[in-house]
Amino acid sequence: MSQAAKTAARQVKPILSLNKEEARKRVLNLYKAWHRQLPYIVKQYDIPKNIPQCREKLREEFTKYNNIQDVRVVDMLIIKGQMELKEVVEVWKQKGHIMTYFKESQEPKPKDFISKFLAGVN
Amino acid sequence: MALIMLRSRALTLCSNNLKWTSATISTSAPTFSDDVNKAVKQKEPKQVENNIALLNPDEVEHKQKMKGYITVEGAPDVSLISGIPEEHIKGRRVRIYEPPKNAMQSGTNNIGHWEMEFDNRERWENPLMGWASTGDPLSNMKIQFSTKEDAMDYCAKNGWEYFVQESSHDKPFKPKNYGINFSWNKRTRTSTK
Repeated sequence: MSQAAKTAARQVKPILSLNKEEARKRVLNLYKAWHRQLPYIVKQYDIPKNIPQCREKLREEFTKYNNIQDVRVVDMLIIKGQMELKEVVEVWKQKGHIMTYFKESQEPKPKDFISKFLAGVN
Repeated sequence: MALIMLRSRALTLCSNNLKWTSATISTSAPTFSDDVNKAVKQKEPKQVENNIALLNPDEVEHKQKMKGYITVEGAPDVSLISGIPEEHIKGRRVRIYEPPKNAMQSGTNNIGHWEMEFDNRERWENPLMGWASTGDPLSNMKIQFSTKEDAMDYCAKNGWEYFVQESSHDKPFKPKNYGINFSWNKRTRTSTK
């Protein structure tokens, strides 16, 4: 496949949505569903975050993908988001899984020489 | 068997009482008649499939369109939905190469394709057994392709940075014949060595 053929408009099979407007509606529905669930998540999972912080994180997780052009990719992300919401609602996830969205347990990699030396990495 | 025989005897005995049961199965409907002309003229209700019976017209239209195609633009990119962690998409570098001829008996077998492999990540000696360990899930991922363009497309689609390592195994062809053994100006003379 040449470079021009790859970037040109192609005919493909749809997954859920036929156009961007429909995909947008689905995204908003998913966003609302997560937004409604947030108070329950905070209470049920007993995470050290409050609801505004969770809302901020939710917004961040959604706006991370706001320049996707392919409708099918949006659809797949919607499906994945729906699956994750289901996992959260049914408490198939645990507290740690919720907290990985905040990624605070990830230690930043050592940058300068002495901290690299102490961490034992090159 | 005996029970059936008993029942048939009982039916024959009280056949007058059971006449209404035979009337419930009617064979007089026009569709089932032997007269073909009558059966063809019979108007049947339009058949509705079970899966669309309860849908709105809009939903039916959507369902119909879902069987067709949609138009998308831009290069295909599955890096967001492939499930590969971001740190194994952004920071990795793929080498696309042709595997060389094997020096052992397999020789030129199992070559003639293109392969991709990832850059090496940290390996260490496992303290328990002394075996080599790695934390890199892509360290053993080698995929074979028939052409390098396929490999390049695959890497581009998955969002991996790649480079193509061309091999230089093509030796220039040297024509040989009997006459060059006696050449006066080339160092190919064999008779007076």
